[in-house]
Amino acid sequence: MATDAGKPAEQTLFVRKASGLVKGWSTGDGFRYSFFSTNIFLGIWGFLYAVFIPGGSVFWSIIITTIFVLLEVVVYAGLISAMPRAGGDYIWQSRVFHSSVGFVFGATGWWFILWLWIPIYAALCVNSFIKPVLRILGANGAADWLTTEWGVFVASLATIALATYLVAVGMKAYANFQKWALWIGLAGLAVGAILLIVTSKDTFIASFNREMLSQFGAKDAYAATIKGAGEGMPTSMFAGNLTDTFKLIPVMAFWLLWPVWCATLYGEVRGAKDFRKNIYQMGGGLLAAVAIVLVFLGLVTKTMGWDFFEASANGYMGVLYAYIDPAAVPGAGEYLSPTAMTAWIVNNSAFQIILIAAISLIVFGWWGTVFLSSTRMIFASAFDRILPEGVAKVTSGGVPVNALLLMAIPSVIVSAFYAFSPSFVQLTYDATLVIAAMFFVTGLAFVFMPIRAKAIWQNSALPKGPLLPIIGVIYVIFMGFNLWLWLYDKTNVYGVGYKNKNSMIFMGILYVAAIVIWVIAYFVRKNQGMELEAVAKEIPVE
Amino acid sequence: MKVRLFFATDVHGSEVCWRKFINSAAHYEADVLILGGDMTGKAIVPIVQTAPEHWRYHMLDITHELEGADELAKGERLIRDHGYYPVTLTPEERDEYTSNEEKLEELFHESMRKTVESWVEWADARLEGSKTMCIVCPGNDDREDIDEILATSRHIIVGEGNVLDLPGGYQLASSGWTNLTPWDTPREEDEPKLKERILGIVKQATVPPERLVFGLHAPPYDTQLDVAPKIDWDTLTVQGQDSAHVGSTAVREVIEEVQPILSLHGHIHESRAAVRIGRTLAINPGSSYTEGMVAGCVVDLDGKSKLKRYRLTSG
Repeated sequence: MATDAGKPAEQTLFVRKASGLVKGWSTGDGFRYSFFSTNIFLGIWGFLYAVFIPGGSVFWSIIITTIFVLLEVVVYAGLISAMPRAGGDYIWQSRVFHSSVGFVFGATGWWFILWLWIPIYAALCVNSFIKPVLRILGANGAADWLTTEWGVFVASLATIALATYLVAVGMKAYANFQKWALWIGLAGLAVGAILLIVTSKDTFIASFNREMLSQFGAKDAYAATIKGAGEGMPTSMFAGNLTDTFKLIPVMAFWLLWPVWCATLYGEVRGAKDFRKNIYQMGGGLLAAVAIVLVFLGLVTKTMGWDFFEASANGYMGVLYAYIDPAAVPGAGEYLSPTAMTAWIVNNSAFQIILIAAISLIVFGWWGTVFLSSTRMIFASAFDRILPEGVAKVTSGGVPVNALLLMAIPSVIVSAFYAFSPSFVQLTYDATLVIAAMFFVTGLAFVFMPIRAKAIWQNSALPKGPLLPIIGVIYVIFMGFNLWLWLYDKTNVYGVGYKNKNSMIFMGILYVAAIVIWVIAYFVRKNQGMELEAVAKEIPVE
Repeated sequence: MKVRLFFATDVHGSEVCWRKFINSAAHYEADVLILGGDMTGKAIVPIVQTAPEHWRYHMLDITHELEGADELAKGERLIRDHGYYPVTLTPEERDEYTSNEEKLEELFHESMRKTVESWVEWADARLEGSKTMCIVCPGNDDREDIDEILATSRHIIVGEGNVLDLPGGYQLASSGWTNLTPWDTPREEDEPKLKERILGIVKQATVPPERLVFGLHAPPYDTQLDVAPKIDWDTLTVQGQDSAHVGSTAVREVIEEVQPILSLHGHIHESRAAVRIGRTLAINPGSSYTEGMVAGCVVDLDGKSKLKRYRLTSG
């Protein structure tokens, strides 16, 4: 019988002199990575899609989703504790189920679909930070160019370059960068929060109208925004019916599912076998991000007005999805960045730019995650010989050069589609869906670990009662619910379900590509006298 | 003649890993099994008798209460599988070992000897009638008397400080000695002495480099096989985020000079990788012993002058 009674005072372990090296990332690094991955600006960007489900409560959908994602944290903390190895989902699924399962879901979820995240990262950054700064500087030509096809493409290329650089500098340097980015970004957020606290709604309206007139020539922009795009939008973040609030969960999943983004890196995190510490790291990152967003939404309600906030989002989405005439909204449907609107409260361009730049580090600190986690999955499958040996090549400076190329080159192609094919932007939720499918299978791996990977389960420090498998089952149901909403989307709310053929084809290509790679590897390796299953298959104990 | 080697290392007292290692011959269809060192555990878990037929131990932040002999046996097995040595004690005995270092040292010694003896016995029974060659090379964490126990085996060949003939006309030159560590372990020495030791072993080889395999516990310096967090040697604490190459310059120099076809290493559990040093493929498969998993590598030699292929495994 095992109890979790805490460590007694007497000696419980005698240790002799023996080598005992530890891993590169600390608990704090893991927390920061989780916090950045549950990125608050991805959340704010993701709220744009809530305008398609105006009957749901944003506040309550965040709370409900967070509760379920805490179960995800427990599931991942458990798997990390039992198998703390670089490769994450790929490793766990291949060890619990089969090499093919691990590769198909691991490659699509941690590798292929990350190509689509590149233009999403770029769009978020351009709209939230770059364009507002250019508008403040009066560089309207450059700002407008960024919304052109070539502008979107070039921004994506810049994102690829920056993400590649952040991975190339190595885990240690990237962790240091994240540390600085976090502190400066949080300081910027604190200044923004103080501004929103001390500013009255009338003062905010005046500052907003001043800047919109100055930057876009729009008169009385606050009222015009509500008039042009506020119809049918909720007037409170609390208001909403239960059904639509649950329908908002997949929207919230767009930013809330990711505190476990560090899962593929845990082979490099110290103390990764400590189940509770893993929960604190990832759960802490999640709750910190949620707390900041909820405070922000409260301040938005107080200072900006929720009706205005929703109208500004609807104005942008309406023009993007062509159900609102650009002439009907101030700024012709330009994204009204909450960061910029907050900075505008102070009528000083230099201050505005500095504040926006400081807060933007919350996003830039996150930039490398788009490739970093992926390279570990690629490494792990190369070690298992599904991918060729050369894929795991690391330069003398420690740069995973080929793994990075496998991320960067296809990202250029997908970014080109995103920029030059108007319908491609509507595949945004595929970026979440494909990863969620991988998480779903990982949840199953957690549930079945005690049966299919007995030695690992028995050797783990995880409590052996029924609680963890029950948590795993609830998590699997939660992820299944999300997948069902995304895919069986009769009214095309999320835009990536069975009614969107492009989405089905795009995802189909990804899964077929993964299957083809695994099958080719299987036969090539078999011809070479290797059984791929044997690489991951547990050696019999008795 | 083609030869398939299976190499694993650093099982550190994990009984489940030892058994898996022995069973890996059939699993991977290997002709030769090589264990690259550090087979003994690092810690003792005291199972304290708190009442008649009732024991308690604490492992990985969980307190285990055991009722009856069956639960006691299960608890001991769990501890052994994790790489620790279970020792049943009264509270008074535990307190005595806590305060008496010399006595604790004897307890470690006895636990290691008994465990290795039982492992040898199990391996002999399992390898009876098998054509697989099984070589065990101790590592820097293994005391020297372990070699004597291994030498009593009918089927295990001890690979410390010698050159062994492998099937297919290959030879294995091996040593578990490493460069200095912050832990003052049983088999470590400074780089000049280590180089002298390794060269002394390699000189015994009678095959050309393309038929020579190194089994050296320490990985070569300044490669992907030897990266570890930087440690303060006085306090044994990690120095921030700094990592460092902690492998052996002596090992690297000998590899560069001799250029064997293959060089197998361990020691740094986190540095699972394979690199080329000139014509030599150097591999450190890493270690996942605390998970009960055997991290290893399968290497196919073509029987001529080429290393046909290799793959890292986790089983």
